[in-house]
Amino acid sequence: MDGASISSWSQPFRVGVILKLAFRNLRRQLRRSLLTASAMVVGGFFCVFSYSLGDGTHEQWIESGVRMGSGHVTVERPEFRLSRKLDDRLSPEVRQATEQALQSRELAAQVVAVSSRLTISGLASSATGARPVQVVGVDPVAEAGFSMVDDQVIEGRYLEPDDRLAAYVGLGLVESLDLRLGSRFVVQAQDAAGDISGQLLRVVGIFRSGMPEADQSIIHIPLLTAGDWLGTDRDVTNVGVVLADSTLVGSMVADLERALSGPVASNEVRVMGWPESERAVWAAVTIDEFGNHVVMGILFIIIAFGIVNTVLMSVLHRYREFGVLRALGLTPRQTGAVVLVEGLTLTAISGCAGVLLGMVTTWYFFGDGLDFSVLVGEEMTFSGVVIDPVIVPLFRVSRLAQVFTVILGIGTIASIYPARRAATVDTAEAMKFDR
Amino acid sequence: MTNYDGPAVSTTGVWKVFEQEAEEVTAVRDVSLAIERGEFTALAGPSGSGKTTLLNLIGGLTRPTRGQVQVAGREISEMSNQDLARLRLEEVGFVFQAYNLLPVLTALENAEFPMLLKGIDEEERQTRVRELFVRTGLDGLEDRRPGKLSGGQQQRVAVVRAVASNPALVLADEPTANLDSASSESLLDMMSDLNRDLGVTFVFATHDGHVMERSRRLVRMVDGQIDSDETQA
Repeated sequence: MDGASISSWSQPFRVGVILKLAFRNLRRQLRRSLLTASAMVVGGFFCVFSYSLGDGTHEQWIESGVRMGSGHVTVERPEFRLSRKLDDRLSPEVRQATEQALQSRELAAQVVAVSSRLTISGLASSATGARPVQVVGVDPVAEAGFSMVDDQVIEGRYLEPDDRLAAYVGLGLVESLDLRLGSRFVVQAQDAAGDISGQLLRVVGIFRSGMPEADQSIIHIPLLTAGDWLGTDRDVTNVGVVLADSTLVGSMVADLERALSGPVASNEVRVMGWPESERAVWAAVTIDEFGNHVVMGILFIIIAFGIVNTVLMSVLHRYREFGVLRALGLTPRQTGAVVLVEGLTLTAISGCAGVLLGMVTTWYFFGDGLDFSVLVGEEMTFSGVVIDPVIVPLFRVSRLAQVFTVILGIGTIASIYPARRAATVDTAEAMKFDR
Repeated sequence: MTNYDGPAVSTTGVWKVFEQEAEEVTAVRDVSLAIERGEFTALAGPSGSGKTTLLNLIGGLTRPTRGQVQVAGREISEMSNQDLARLRLEEVGFVFQAYNLLPVLTALENAEFPMLLKGIDEEERQTRVRELFVRTGLDGLEDRRPGKLSGGQQQRVAVVRAVASNPALVLADEPTANLDSASSESLLDMMSDLNRDLGVTFVFATHDGHVMERSRRLVRMVDGQIDSDETQA
């Protein structure tokens, strides 16, 4: 056989040889392999455990935040977020185009609830006094599917489609204005014509969200009542959308921007995802997630050092063996590849095992939720969201793939130095090496 | 093996100087040597005479400080690591003092390893190795790992590994040093047979009197230089 024909078709054989050697060596040094693998399994387990609980927590924060706020995605005029003026309400055409787009077959599957609201700042007054409030004109049926407020009723009931002068009021406001179920009070706000206009309302329900600021300021009234009172007919200030999963936000924003390309291009309307519209929630999630990454990063750096040490010891122990491989015709790169493949194989197997163990254990023990109420009490709020003390883990395929990729990456990086050592063996010296 | 008809190996004015803690040690000093195909040559000499270093230079395991080394007509002094690896695979078989079989492979897998790297198909590999196993008394030990073989058996497997892929030459560094006299004698018989019957070129580095006696050409080295070069009956 001549050299030319060898080099042209022996490569697959060499890959096979390298794989064979790597697998056999892992089996040969079973204790060492298991020790290294166990570090990766533990790392994978903690990663999945921590991230599934973290993702579950974040999803709950987001869910709470968007349902108390303006949804995973909101369509509104760019100025409205700061001005809160009726002048900055959506045109009927934009509202109609938005609602039609959300009813299309492609988008409807991702949508859980849609609520078109008219939100204005006003002043509520009773015989006792007056308080600044946020009046939200809603379609009672749509809003019941959108918001959590209707579930937080402590007295009375939520709005119904036939209601006209009804108001659903937070407990804090009820106490401030000394109201009770059936009490009448007046809200005043600037109407569409720019005049201050008042509306008499009757309390049909009282809610307690757990967020003092919401309980002291939010009043839900029927959209029709708001339209008659403010002269806005059926106009709204925003269309909010709740999605099946917060990760769908990006594509939904893009789809709506496409559907509203004209108004978006002319800056008449803006489509915002929750990270933009609920900045406090986004900041809380981002900071918490960053903290998780840091802790996991430190854990994996420690594990990586352990792997480097173990693999390097294995390389040094087999110094002569690598010399023999070189003498027999393996190139430096191929010799290093033996070590790299060993490391990759080990981390791939242990990574899978760790991810699987993390998933099964977390799901088995905490599938119904991990109850932190002993530590944080029954109710806690921060960054404008109500925190549920029971955290339900959330397993995302993308997150599991991310964890597995990180483990594989760590394994690869940790094997590079030992692989380099194996690749740069001085063959003649290695033959003298006596272990 | 290539179709080159010249010497299996030749060196011209080869020097090897090692730097050890700011001190230069000359291991091989101006050695010029040609070894023809089919020779059964021993490089003999006391420890430190440079015979192993010369063997390593011929095998491309280390590079000369000066001079030229040609293996099967190919100048190897300036070859890249990649090309040296290919040369070793194609032209050179090695037998080491400490056997150096790969512990994770069976005797048969060890013996066919260079052929596997060359991409020779399984049927041909197995045929060649089994033939050599029968010839060298290793028949029946194919599936044993090195740890389950005696020193003599391991060294026989190492010799089969070295010759199985038909290299231009086989370099053996103190192949009998770890063997008892019976095993040593048996190994020499085996290599002598392979040399005679198959025309395999053997070059030994040795200080074993037995090996020197059995070799047909004896190159004695002292202080890194060739002291004598005799052809024996």
